Amino acid sequence: MNTGDTSFMLVATALVMFMTPGLALFYGGLVRNKNVLSTIMHSICCLGLISFIWLAYGYSLAFGPDLGGFIGNLDWIGLKGVGLDPGPYSDTIPDLLFCAFQLMFAIITPALISGAYAERMKFTAFLLFTVLWSTFVYMPVCHWVWGQGGWLGKLGALDFAGGTVIHINSACAALVAALMLGKRKGWGQEAFHPHNLPMTVLGAGILWFGWFGFNAGSALSAGKIATLAFFTTQIATGCALMSWVVAEWIIQGKPTTLGAASGAVAGLVAITPAAGFVGPVSATIIGLVAGALCYSAILLKGRLGYDDALDVVAVHGVGGLWGALATGLFASVAWNPDGANGLFFGNPLQFLIQAIGAGAAIVYSLTISFVILKLVDMTVGLRVERDDEIQGLDITQHSEIGYNI
Amino acid sequence: MAHISAGDTAFILVSAALVLLMTPALGLFYGGMVRNKNVLGTIMHSLIMIAIISFEWIYIGYSMSFGPDVSGFVGDLSWFGLKGVGTAPSDTYATTIPHLLFMIYQCMFAVITPALITGAFAERMKFGPFVIFSLVWAILVYNPVCHWIWGSGGWLGAKGVLDFAGGLVVHLTSGAAALAAALVIGPRQGFKKRSFMPHNLPMTLLGTGLLWFGWFGFNGGSALAANGVAVTAFIATHLAGMAAMASWCFMEKIRQGNATTLGAASGAIAGLATVTPAAGFISANSAIIIGLIAGVICYLAVSMKERLGYDDSLDVVGIHGLGGFAGTLMLGIFASKAVNPGGADGLLAGNPGFFFTQLFGVAVVLVYAFVVSFVLLKVVDAMFGLRVSPEDEVMGLDLSQHSETAYNL
Repeated sequence: MNTGDTSFMLVATALVMFMTPGLALFYGGLVRNKNVLSTIMHSICCLGLISFIWLAYGYSLAFGPDLGGFIGNLDWIGLKGVGLDPGPYSDTIPDLLFCAFQLMFAIITPALISGAYAERMKFTAFLLFTVLWSTFVYMPVCHWVWGQGGWLGKLGALDFAGGTVIHINSACAALVAALMLGKRKGWGQEAFHPHNLPMTVLGAGILWFGWFGFNAGSALSAGKIATLAFFTTQIATGCALMSWVVAEWIIQGKPTTLGAASGAVAGLVAITPAAGFVGPVSATIIGLVAGALCYSAILLKGRLGYDDALDVVAVHGVGGLWGALATGLFASVAWNPDGANGLFFGNPLQFLIQAIGAGAAIVYSLTISFVILKLVDMTVGLRVERDDEIQGLDITQHSEIGYNI
Repeated sequence: MAHISAGDTAFILVSAALVLLMTPALGLFYGGMVRNKNVLGTIMHSLIMIAIISFEWIYIGYSMSFGPDVSGFVGDLSWFGLKGVGTAPSDTYATTIPHLLFMIYQCMFAVITPALITGAFAERMKFGPFVIFSLVWAILVYNPVCHWIWGSGGWLGAKGVLDFAGGLVVHLTSGAAALAAALVIGPRQGFKKRSFMPHNLPMTLLGTGLLWFGWFGFNGGSALAANGVAVTAFIATHLAGMAAMASWCFMEKIRQGNATTLGAASGAIAGLATVTPAAGFISANSAIIIGLIAGVICYLAVSMKERLGYDDSLDVVGIHGLGGFAGTLMLGIFASKAVNPGGADGLLAGNPGFFFTQLFGVAVVLVYAFVVSFVLLKVVDAMFGLRVSPEDEVMGLDLSQHSETAYNL
């Protein structure tokens, strides 16, 4: 056990926990004011729901003893055998701390999806969907990549802090949800202006801050790799912010705060799988591409005609996919000897492996998310009544209003 | 190769994240104080710095500030693009943590410094020229001054000038630039004729809370290790913040009749800024005295502003400029080797020479930062124009510069 590593991971865990309320504010500011509380509730509730699932059986499914490379078994149900000594996933910190750190990732992932169905999903449907999705999509994919014996990990797929497990995974579910729920009432006829952009910027700031725990903490120790991940996170995010703002300045004529906030999140997403495997120049390129690419994806959304309300697909999906593939291009053992070389460092195979990893997660998440959403639709129904949607979810789902100003 | 300490690395990783949070926090602190037609424009001034300065810093800024010395004035460019800066510790700076970590920690300071200036020209600056000014300012003012004081071989550092966490490098440079900016760009329309009420004080208070939180990383982390000096700095930071908050509110109460939340927020920031240069070198009692004085003098400076006739919209000069100025001098009085053997003894410990060293450092940085900022602003003004058109100013920066509105409530 190492007190330096343990103190770092305790703080990193708190930082990642903080991202979920940060996400709530980020999303909350983007919706109309009649839906702000329900949007915040979607994120906040994950803190409760997933914590319970994780303790009951989630951690065991994701990280427990392997079953055929596909999922963990139920040996660690109720955290049986997970104690205060270092465990199978870390030599220098308590096993329980690793479990808590990973819990925070499991919490934020379904919360990310909520941006796609914002302003129109029934609260009960949200609860049921989140429980099922977390169990049948998050836990297995997490096991594939990070669990001992997971098939993608064994194949050599690199995912430093969750590009595939978290971002691609949640964005695919978001796409399915946006398609199945249909467009918000008035889509295409009226513009949906964000009701409180300073709140969104606050959320983006908290996310950025917390992301240092997310990425640097994924080194699981306070040393060189944590430093590398911290550094690449900052630089890629700064570059993505800049490239998004410049792109919209050129194409739409004005640089916006919404663009700055979105660009930052795009950069954070894109660097996530690569953070501990790439050097500074690579991080710069990953960030610059991420900003412009995700911005283009948003422009394209209007033409494709699905209503991904808060752009989960464009930012987390496109950004996550770019990051996963970029890891296969830019990874370098000169920076991290435990990683691998990518295509640009003479190892084209790594790029292929990254593509397989991303592809597997995409196919799996799209399919199972579809099945789960169908099931939820048939049982409790996905979408609120038309009148409820017009009145807003805050009053109809929660009997509250966001502001009495 | 030096040995990496996990404890120190953990602490500085977290500190760097804390200092990053201060820049969006500053955006909220400033954003709450402007009128609601300018809130996004004001937040954007801080936010965009994270992108532009981070980029500038890794390619040239770090090398100019901390790279191999060129006659005491600036670092050379041999670390361009972080060449040679890796995960092994540096043998000059912070030898128990990865060199790259020291670099990114310092990056966060470089980011927030130009963001501090923006309070002076809030509500009337064009976005494009603002970006150009800030970038060039970082290169011409921040990087050299940082090298003088913190860079290995820097001439002010070699003379014995002490600045624990940036009273000179961060607060005085930005305060001097803010004064130059307020003078060059001129007052807002309606200045002195009507009062500009802050549009969202809870937002300002949230920003204050986050700044205070982040400041523990700023000052505590400047020890560059998790040790006694970090604890000294952490405690001094908290005590000076709270003392200045109290004394500012007290001044308001006796002079204006009511203590205000805006006063509490401004007082806290004044105390935090003032103790910054001194934090790791002084005792807890000295920190309280510094804080009490900071609250009083910064309050007086801010209330005199209207009489002096320049429109430093969000009081950068009165809080950061004066705070950095006074804090650096007070370090000359209160510094104690009994607290930190790596520091110096000040006036009260029987060493008046150190006070004059600090005075010299303050004078040099003040003159350099003011003159270069002033000239730079004049040049940018002549080339691109600093100020938005009168119609755009009436419409507000949010719509005219960014095509957005903050609230659709």
